[in-house]
Amino acid sequence: MDVVAVGIFLAALILIAFEWTHRTKVALCGAAAVVLLGILEQEQAIAAIDWSTLGLLVGMMVIVGLTERTGVFTYLALRVAQLSRGRPMRLVFLLAGVTGVMSAFLDNLTAILLVVPITLLLADLLKVSPIPLVLVEVIASNIGGTATLIGDPPNIMIGTAKPELSFLDFIVNLAPVAIVTLLVVTTGLALAFRKQLVIEPERRREVDRLDPAADMRGAPYVTRSLLVLLGTIVGFFLHAPLHIEPAVVALTGATVMLLVAADDVENALERVEWATIFFFIGLFVMVGGLEERGVIDRVAEGFADLTGGSRSLEALVILWGSAAGSAVVDNIPFTAAMIPVVDSLQGDGFDDAAWWALALGACFGGNATIIAAAANVAASGVLDRSGQPVSFVRFLMVGLPVTAVSLVIATVYLVLFQL
Amino acid sequence: MSSLHDIELIPASVDVSATFDEAARALAESRLPALAVLDEGRVVGLFTDEELLLGVSPKYLDELRHTAFLESELPSLREHAAAVRSEPVRKHMRKPITVELDSSSLHASERFVHCDEGAIAVVDGDGRFVGMLSKAEFAYAMLRRLTGS
Repeated sequence: MDVVAVGIFLAALILIAFEWTHRTKVALCGAAAVVLLGILEQEQAIAAIDWSTLGLLVGMMVIVGLTERTGVFTYLALRVAQLSRGRPMRLVFLLAGVTGVMSAFLDNLTAILLVVPITLLLADLLKVSPIPLVLVEVIASNIGGTATLIGDPPNIMIGTAKPELSFLDFIVNLAPVAIVTLLVVTTGLALAFRKQLVIEPERRREVDRLDPAADMRGAPYVTRSLLVLLGTIVGFFLHAPLHIEPAVVALTGATVMLLVAADDVENALERVEWATIFFFIGLFVMVGGLEERGVIDRVAEGFADLTGGSRSLEALVILWGSAAGSAVVDNIPFTAAMIPVVDSLQGDGFDDAAWWALALGACFGGNATIIAAAANVAASGVLDRSGQPVSFVRFLMVGLPVTAVSLVIATVYLVLFQL
Repeated sequence: MSSLHDIELIPASVDVSATFDEAARALAESRLPALAVLDEGRVVGLFTDEELLLGVSPKYLDELRHTAFLESELPSLREHAAAVRSEPVRKHMRKPITVELDSSSLHASERFVHCDEGAIAVVDGDGRFVGMLSKAEFAYAMLRRLTGS
């Protein structure tokens, strides 16, 4: 049964990595196999699902989905484009900045889906290729999302699995390294793309003629939606002292949003990406199967043997190993499998450095390949549909050096401040 | 009313070898929201007003949710429209929605309600194209017949 549980999980990872079919179908098939083959009883499978993660995801999807109608995110993206005055280097930094911040406080996938379409239009207006700008945004979204508990799915999973780590802990421990990494990486990308981002002087003035607030005028519930979004973010900052779980904050925010800023509940709930939710459900059940069969404990033991029990080596292996694993498969299933491994390594103790190493490795590793993070897949889909596809290799040529630089920065940070 | 025989059908169609430009002209002249794309008399696709609109718009239009901020025309639109004119219509058609000439009016109504098209293709028992049925024309014909007016 142990071999079967491992086989199901590895087969699922391979299918997800090669995108032979939708990842949600793969995860649900894997979960069904785990239960039908008796690796887990039905009750155990349901208990293996991390409902807090799902609650946090659903809550944020409703809040962000309803706020998106107001045009406020379009406003932000256009304002930074105007601040750039059509100068390419400034544009790269400002787009990276706004994407990074939006990723940190919404989530990186949402940020990409909001920013990339506007970027395609801006690039069209400025007569430059959108691909360098979109690549910068994808990378910024994965780095920016590293900064908070809600910014990137690996962090959401870690934050909900380890209640000892608060929203503020994530910011204090991860935001500084994320900001430094974003600045370094964006500088490198701006230099690398400078020849592809030449904007003719007469096109530069086009951004001044945009009216960023146009879509907000007449949009429904602008003030209410923004107040609820801001209130929810404040709630995340206060969840630990108030002894409220992040999922409760998100679901309360979503409920208030439905009460004050949604006329049609069914339409509002269409903002929930159910495919993503069911993907997580399938993953949790498959990982639950691995835990039940003792596979996770054996992996953790092997890991401890490898590192000789050294705390520093353990954290660095988690960092680089998570990045490599995330690059090859997808950082969501990889993190789902790694959380119980790190948990098992720690036994009864608690060492937050290992968790920061996992968060940094999985989130930064998400930049390595086009399939490594949900935001990358989403951006590449938008580019495909717009007739400007980015190949796996082209993404890799940018993503791999970016990931290497990010991991070096993360290593220095962990060694200097956490170990 | 038990079939579509006595409703006016419009023989609006283009051959699958037609260009986007030819299909666009035929669609505009038919004054229908969709026309049939035929291959040897059989319906292989529909070319609708949406395909026409998306064809002359940037490909990323569907991804955008807000565009009121744009006050000037995109410089690429003219080049894009020039390029799309000579493209084959088969690149721009959608899956055909058909209904048989002998179908009941209720079946045709159900097809219209669930396919969300403004016009669908009517075919004979052998699957050969007979004509396009417009939703408005069909609904108005039903109203007249059911009320005896």
